[in-house]
Amino acid sequence: MAIAETSGRTESMTRRAGGMSPFVGWFRKLGWRHLVALAALVFALFPVVWIVSAAINPVGSTLTSQQLIPESPTLDNFRALSNTVPYWSWYRNTMLIAGGAALFNTMLAALAAYAFSRMRFRGRRTGLLSVLLIQMFPQILTIVALFLMMDLIKDVYPAIGLGTRNGLFLIYLGGAMGVNTWLMKGFFDTIPVDLDESARIDGATHGQIFMRIILPLVAPILAVVFLLGFIFLINDILIVRVVLGLGNQENWTLGLGLWQFVNDRFSQRWGLFAAGSLLAAIPIIVLWQFLQRYVVSGLTQGAVKG
Amino acid sequence: MVDRTDVTEDPPSGPGSAENRGERSPRFSFTPAFVLKLLFLAAVNGLAIAGLPAMLDQGWWPGVASVVVSTVFIDYVYLSRRTVPAKYLIPGTIFALIFQVIPVVYTGYIAFTNFGTGNILTKDQAIERAESLYSSVPGSQRFQLSILASEDGEGELALLLTDEAGNRFFGTAAGLEALAPGEVVIDDAGKVLSVDDFVALNLGQISDRQDELLSLEIPSELGLVRPITATTAAVYNRLYEYDAQTDTLTNLETGEVYTPVQGNFTSAAGESPEDIPGWSVVVGFDNFKRILTSEAIRGPFLRVFVWNYVFAVLSVVLTFALGLLLAITLNHPTLRGRRVYRSLLIIPYALPSFMSALIWRGLLNQDFGVINELLGANIAWLNDPWMAKVSVLLVNLWLGFPYMFLISTGALQAIPDELKEASYVDGASPRQAFRQVVFPLLLVTLAPLLIASFAFNFNNFNVIYLLNSGGPPIEGAQTPAGHTDILISYTFRLAFEGGRGQDFGLASAIALLIFIMVAGVSAFSFRRTRALEDLT
Repeated sequence: MAIAETSGRTESMTRRAGGMSPFVGWFRKLGWRHLVALAALVFALFPVVWIVSAAINPVGSTLTSQQLIPESPTLDNFRALSNTVPYWSWYRNTMLIAGGAALFNTMLAALAAYAFSRMRFRGRRTGLLSVLLIQMFPQILTIVALFLMMDLIKDVYPAIGLGTRNGLFLIYLGGAMGVNTWLMKGFFDTIPVDLDESARIDGATHGQIFMRIILPLVAPILAVVFLLGFIFLINDILIVRVVLGLGNQENWTLGLGLWQFVNDRFSQRWGLFAAGSLLAAIPIIVLWQFLQRYVVSGLTQGAVKG
Repeated sequence: MVDRTDVTEDPPSGPGSAENRGERSPRFSFTPAFVLKLLFLAAVNGLAIAGLPAMLDQGWWPGVASVVVSTVFIDYVYLSRRTVPAKYLIPGTIFALIFQVIPVVYTGYIAFTNFGTGNILTKDQAIERAESLYSSVPGSQRFQLSILASEDGEGELALLLTDEAGNRFFGTAAGLEALAPGEVVIDDAGKVLSVDDFVALNLGQISDRQDELLSLEIPSELGLVRPITATTAAVYNRLYEYDAQTDTLTNLETGEVYTPVQGNFTSAAGESPEDIPGWSVVVGFDNFKRILTSEAIRGPFLRVFVWNYVFAVLSVVLTFALGLLLAITLNHPTLRGRRVYRSLLIIPYALPSFMSALIWRGLLNQDFGVINELLGANIAWLNDPWMAKVSVLLVNLWLGFPYMFLISTGALQAIPDELKEASYVDGASPRQAFRQVVFPLLLVTLAPLLIASFAFNFNNFNVIYLLNSGGPPIEGAQTPAGHTDILISYTFRLAFEGGRGQDFGLASAIALLIFIMVAGVSAFSFRRTRALEDLT
């Protein structure tokens, strides 16, 4: 913020000295910025506009016959979505599994980050480096092994084995330790240790310090990790497909369900895909708008200090 | 750097001490942390106990041992006062161990086996499969059949057989015996009702116990009598016999002897019977050797390998360049509508990427895509090898620039303005100040995120696979490889879409190579950026 202010001041001083017309001055200072922003907006929003259009085009229109603004906009696609497939089950599953796992992961990462940031213990450096190493091996690379493991678990714990939503949830929790832990540790490091110290002198336990002093102060990074984790999990279609793909459609998530719309016959179910995607994107975009400012500060603040 | 004190020493903790010391807020005597702890311990112990019977039942001792040991360890950590860091590290670590580390280790193991279609069972299962194969005895007679069972149809199965001459036999798994006419209870319609305690099963009961019936064999001097339908039985011979001593399988019909070679029973002539599945065995470095030596795999592999790096690096560079440009442009205090711009610009990132990739697939379609329609052109966005690469990068730019825009904005705002002011005082132009003060600081701040972005894009399966399925295909390649395939999509196609079935061993070997490459690049970059220096 402050940098820009400075440069703004410097620029306006030079301008005034030059004695340009007000419009040229405005344009050189701010106008071109609007132009760049508008160009970026066109690039960013063009596909979104198009998918909105596809969703309200009459059922059965193909990519070719679709009009950007249909003559008779209709909600038929949305209705068909509720009637022909268990769309709302997918929706609920996604929110519960991806949202729940993201929430859980955030808490697990916060716990670990607290230990890494505030405590000194044997194996701390090794632990931090292992977390980094683990992160290099994304779960989708181990998909075959995951499949076989889940099959084995099914025999012992049928409730969390292959083909269950619980199993998928647990697999997602495997990603709790990773770049999140690092991001959080960096952020935790920026909270002055004096706060812990004084609380400890007042008799607070480590648990109380964590819950009542640290957690409220690191809310921004919690928001970031939750949101990024949520988006990451919603995007997963590979693991879902392996764990739930063969089972009952009711258990599917949005990713798997929407993919199936366009996987077999792309053009024919395009309207359904668009309508389903729109409904799915709404809560995420709303979340973004609320958490956006935290995301910006959370992502960079921890890193800056380190 | 703040000097942190050592807090390994645990201050007195637990609900009791919280009550004594936290007088100012007595309602927190049961701290949320403590309740969480209890719930967590209860869940862990409950889960462990729930699984033990099944594991004991199957005699799966490694599983039993690891569950017991880890549960006891967790209980110890949480009930002891001396293990504070572990209390915070264990929850995440457990899940990471089970669903991240073990799969990685397992992948490492599979990479050295021939696991895949045709070699998917264990050896015992393969033998069991072989021994459940029968050959019908030529010229043998068929029997009319009634299926019976003791204990009101719930107990031991028995077959009542009637041969062509009308002689009746009673067979159980123990053997076959002839029956005198009086021993069978028959109703007026001639339907068999019972023999001793054994009563006839109805069709529902028969279909319930179908699996048992299929594996039922009654030894007799003719051969093995087995039911073939609900009303007929025939005589069979076992087709294969396994000799554990010599570890050979013999075809009883032809006398051919098979020995196990690389997970398949193989005859002296080197042929494997098609009706016996193979099993997975450790094959050493065979999978890695195939990647290096087999022309069909190596050729496409090298192209994919190079493109993978190009794709990941260009994706990071392009998204970062555009994101930073926008961040600098919009980071002006008197610019109106900054917040609106920001809110709208992150929409591509907020949209789930699997959707976006599929949307772009439609937009870029050569014949009926909207982009060609708008441009009035007929560009082969997805079908021309070079244009396909451009398209993949374009779509990934669209997906990724909002993120870079966000973090660049944050980093710009976090850089203290004194630094820039100082450079002005020293006579630097705004451009010099940016290039020599702001940008290097920005890079230091963002380096870990950029490296993470590289690692992510290196395995960006969704964009590659959903946009174009890795296509267009490389002409003349013998494996399913495309011009935009990256290693992970190539691996996936090799493992699950290959013409010869699934090759999990080879796929795991490539997964291991990918891991080594990503880890290597990341370790190198981290060393260069000295991001780890802080780690004391």
